[in-house]
Amino acid sequence: MIYDLQIEIPYLLTLLLVVPLVGAVATAAMGGKRERYAKYVAGAFSAATMLLATVLLFTKDMGVYDESYSWIESAGLRMSYILHVDGLSVLMVFLSGLLVFLVTLFSSREGDRPNCFFALLLAMEVGLMGVYMSADYFLFYIMWEVTLIPMFFMISWYGGPRRHYAAIKFFIYTHVASVVMLIGIFALVFQSASGGVADFSFQAVLNGQFSDTFQAMVFLLLFFGFAVKMPAVPFHTWLPDAHTEAPTAGSVLLAGVMLKMGSYGIIRICLEALPQGAEHWQWLIIATGLVAIVYGAYACIAQRDLKKMVAFSSISHMGMVMLGIGCLSEAGIQMGIFQMFAHGLITAVLFMVCGLAGHNIGTREIPLLGGLASKMPLFAFFMMFGFMASLGLPSLVGFWAEFGIIFSFYEYASSNGMLWLIAFCLIALLLTAGYYLWAMQRTLFGRLTSKIDLSHVHDISRPEAAALGILCLLIIAFGFWPQAAFDFIEPYVGSLGAI
Amino acid sequence: MIPIEAYLAFAAILFAIGAYGVLAKNNTIVVLMCIELMLNAANINFIAFAAYSADAIGQVFVIMTITVAAAEVAVGIAILLNAYRAKGTIEASGLKSMRW
Amino acid sequence: MFVEYTWLVPLLPMICFVAVGLIGKRTPEGGAYLAIAGAAASCVISVLVAYEFFTSAAYHDPGYVTAEIEWFKIPGGFTLHFGYYIDSLACLMMLFASFISTLIFVYSKGYMHEQGAKKRRYYAEVSLFLTGMLGLAVSSNFLEMFVFWEIMGLCSYLLIGFWSFSHPEGDDAADNAASAAKKAFLVTRLGDVCLMAGLFVVLYSFGSLDYVRVFDAAAIHAVDQDMLVLGSLLIFGGVIGKSAQFPLLDWLPDAMAGPTTVSALIHAATMVKAGVYLVARCYPLFAQASEVMLFVGIIGGVTAFFAATMALNNMNIKRVLAYSTLSQLGYMFLALGAGGYLIALGIETGDHHLIAAGAAGYVAGCLHMANHAFFKALLFLCSGSVIHAVGTEDMRKMGGLHRKMKITSVTMLIGSLSIAGFPFFSGFWSKELVLETVMHASDYGAEGYLFTILWLLAVVTAFMTAFYMFRMWFMTFSGKPGHASEHCHGESPASMTAPLAILSAFAIGFGFTILFGFDALLSIGVEGPHHQFTVGAGEAKGFEYLSDIFGSAYTYLTIALVLGAIGIAHLMYNKRSVDAGRFNGGGESFVYKALTKRWWFPQLYDQISWKLGYGVARGVDFIDRQVVDGTVNGLSNAVAGGGELIGKAQTGDVRSYTWAVVAGVVLLFALMLALFYFIGGGI
Repeated sequence: MIYDLQIEIPYLLTLLLVVPLVGAVATAAMGGKRERYAKYVAGAFSAATMLLATVLLFTKDMGVYDESYSWIESAGLRMSYILHVDGLSVLMVFLSGLLVFLVTLFSSREGDRPNCFFALLLAMEVGLMGVYMSADYFLFYIMWEVTLIPMFFMISWYGGPRRHYAAIKFFIYTHVASVVMLIGIFALVFQSASGGVADFSFQAVLNGQFSDTFQAMVFLLLFFGFAVKMPAVPFHTWLPDAHTEAPTAGSVLLAGVMLKMGSYGIIRICLEALPQGAEHWQWLIIATGLVAIVYGAYACIAQRDLKKMVAFSSISHMGMVMLGIGCLSEAGIQMGIFQMFAHGLITAVLFMVCGLAGHNIGTREIPLLGGLASKMPLFAFFMMFGFMASLGLPSLVGFWAEFGIIFSFYEYASSNGMLWLIAFCLIALLLTAGYYLWAMQRTLFGRLTSKIDLSHVHDISRPEAAALGILCLLIIAFGFWPQAAFDFIEPYVGSLGAI
Repeated sequence: MIPIEAYLAFAAILFAIGAYGVLAKNNTIVVLMCIELMLNAANINFIAFAAYSADAIGQVFVIMTITVAAAEVAVGIAILLNAYRAKGTIEASGLKSMRW
Repeated sequence: MFVEYTWLVPLLPMICFVAVGLIGKRTPEGGAYLAIAGAAASCVISVLVAYEFFTSAAYHDPGYVTAEIEWFKIPGGFTLHFGYYIDSLACLMMLFASFISTLIFVYSKGYMHEQGAKKRRYYAEVSLFLTGMLGLAVSSNFLEMFVFWEIMGLCSYLLIGFWSFSHPEGDDAADNAASAAKKAFLVTRLGDVCLMAGLFVVLYSFGSLDYVRVFDAAAIHAVDQDMLVLGSLLIFGGVIGKSAQFPLLDWLPDAMAGPTTVSALIHAATMVKAGVYLVARCYPLFAQASEVMLFVGIIGGVTAFFAATMALNNMNIKRVLAYSTLSQLGYMFLALGAGGYLIALGIETGDHHLIAAGAAGYVAGCLHMANHAFFKALLFLCSGSVIHAVGTEDMRKMGGLHRKMKITSVTMLIGSLSIAGFPFFSGFWSKELVLETVMHASDYGAEGYLFTILWLLAVVTAFMTAFYMFRMWFMTFSGKPGHASEHCHGESPASMTAPLAILSAFAIGFGFTILFGFDALLSIGVEGPHHQFTVGAGEAKGFEYLSDIFGSAYTYLTIALVLGAIGIAHLMYNKRSVDAGRFNGGGESFVYKALTKRWWFPQLYDQISWKLGYGVARGVDFIDRQVVDGTVNGLSNAVAGGGELIGKAQTGDVRSYTWAVVAGVVLLFALMLALFYFIGGGI
């Protein structure tokens, strides 16, 4: 879009699903003595996927890649294999491709059954790509569930001491939510059925006529399903546990792209198909967002585990996305989408850094750390960079998203005479700075800790630094030129307004 | 003509005896036989009503039941034989390993 | 031809930041020369730009040069730009910021010489700091300004915490630096959040953040006045944080944990000056309502007074200077507030004389800002030279350094005279103008009497300033050599003393610019054919100021007070004929304790942040663990436990199952009978 590469790869979207799938199978097969090469196989396939996703980014008209095939067709049902990418999903597709590649790079030290580990990563990528590209509810739902399974095993095989608890909690929470979502999807599809055929494609549902009451009810079902994924307070407690226990790679993907599935769903399904429902429940979306923002920020302050703190910060920042969507204005939705992208980049840095703390130092307990900047300068740099980006330092990508979201919320609040609500956002901004700086003071600065054995502590390795460096560059680049991302989002949001 | 109540009362007594056996007896062969008694109580009801309302369908059912009962006994005895081989007993109180 | 290259001014230090950060290790002195070259180049370009601007036609009409590119758009018709906006104020800011920074960087080469590998970090961060300030000065809109504003916040955080790990003086000092850095960032962040809210108000009301569009008289009149007041106050909230005004003033003394050169940068050339700049920049908005300007003035006056009191008994040479900065910043806001108050009244009543008097306040504020930049840079660099030589910041351990450090001693005396407002030093001129404006403001409006009180506070502050500055000078340079003075290894190297000499020339002479047309450059025109607010291109009053200042009795009063204060300091700390302990009950009196405890501001901050921050956070955490997660775990335990319980019914005994079946049948049958009995055959 920014620059047209003028390359057209046939079946690009299908390739985006097939390449990681083949990669997952191939990597899984690298067991036994070939274990050592598993990471190279996975790296090659994830790099290929990332390149394909990047090509998509540099395509003038993404519509040419749309694919549609009939899949299951019976007397009353029609399910199709439809792939479609637009301004909403292209950034998420790119982010998925990028993050999977980077975590593969980052996790190259993984020594425990690496073939399974990398295969799970690639399998997750299949699901993620599928969720963001499918334009058929049936395919969407399948892909939604596909992402769950590798994540479950990622946590329960490679996680920390309470991994089984966390994995089951994660699975049950998201699965219950997705079943509720499925009911909503059925309601949509069967209500919109015309001529006795229930067509599962997005387009068919968009053509359906729904009464206001129906919209309000179904919106609630779908919203619940997506809000748990985002996650919204009070359905959020699976997230900190899952993050604390998951391996770094899992956390990065979980926070970087999987949480966005929730907000993606709200925009893609709730807003597109049920605009009146969204209007009816606008107060609920905004309230959920505001509560998540402030609650998450406060919860961060009390955390002792670095990673758990970052997990709660994700709740707070995803609340921002929710708030942006809740404005139901073009500006709000656009900035919400941008925040999804921004948060994906930033949170990846944060979780990588937290993972490194656990890996290289041996503990993530903040009270045990201190003065590490002298011992691990590179680590300190990336941690500081990530924290600063996350607390919304202007000229980094997170600021524009927050600025835009709060501004659109200001517009909403101002025209509804509820200007005081802005105070919550501002308090949250302050708290965000507070917990990050306090955490930095206690981990990086001050006296060098004597509570743990530091003799084996070493700084970041080369592949890890490379992965972090790429993310930081992107954070800076989009921070200086947010319009590069807006170019994708704007047309989409414009078309959404037309609905 | 014998009134239908007599048939029903007889069948009820027979069923009660069968039920008592199933509930009280420890020997599974006896239990199996008691189940047969209960089935036959049902059969008597079928026949009685069939004669009473001059409808052959009840008799058809009885034949059906007898067939099924025979098959059931065959399967039941086979299971008991195997249980005896495995456990060395056919006492109902000794066969509790099907619990989860 | 140079103005088009204004963007180079902030870009060059930025390039230096990147270059030093990447390859600084391989260059001599850890990138010092790169940083100096960058700052000097910016300074040269600033001079060229300023020269071209002042000689161009645009200087007279419309009073500014601006160019911008589209940065990004927010749906709903909001386009945000990125560009430069050059007017007299921007020129003044970028000139003194780049000039003083260059001198400070040169000085740093000597001062930071022994820091080894840390030098690279230092020079990278100060370059970025300079980028922030210069970018702020030339920004063409509020948002761009805010970006640079926050970059400065980041740099101050990094630089105050420069020694926050592996501190040469041990772990406690490192802890202290880390805590000070955090405090600085958080307190200014509180202000920044207000400023951001102010930007929302402006953006929503005006539909734009560009100076050109916001400061347009027609646009201002079209906006709801209540929102304008709200926006102005919120923006001023940001200023309070950044310039450390009451009640957010406590971070600045703690910020002394950083290297002294950084303090010089923060206090003289960058950071805190950004707040003054912003108020001056937002004059068109602020001056729409007299209550906003009154508020600015009150905050300034109160800060000036409070900060001066805290400096009276402090023993740390840098802290004294820090308090003096707060106090002088208070003067600037007082002047801007009083001037703006007059302008606001003038706009209401249509009285041109009031507007002209207000414009004088604006000039006074800006002149004091520039003067302060020179003498405060000088004072900090002198104190750095002293600390470098004796290795301590405690003035009780110094004394008698005059013999060993002649240049430092003399330059510091010049700086002290200047800040104290000794006649004909530069501080004198601006301080008298400030007082004059405040006096003037007290004659007008319903709230004018408040300015009388503020004037009194300001005069008392002038007295205190002279006292504590000379207390500092005498304690450091005169009298018997102290404990640490004996270790002094003589005067600092030339790279440190040369900037001192240059700065002292400005500390003496810059104030005279007021007699030679400085006021014309920065005068505000409130009415004109195309635009209601312009800075610059006014008429210079020139030597009229002499008769203004020396024709007023109040001037002689302040001069007498200043001389008296110097005399008292001389008696107490030089001749030691008056025991300082007599006035504070030997350090036991209430006031003395209040001052050493900084009027309990730190405790207040701690209480607020612990109660409202950590306290609430613990509550939220409790709710999260016990209530929310408790419910979840409770539910799952209930399901699992219930299954366990019902599982017990599964005995495996065939007969018990049969009992259950038979009992169930009997029960059902009984139920049916009962139903028949009670309802009859109806069903």
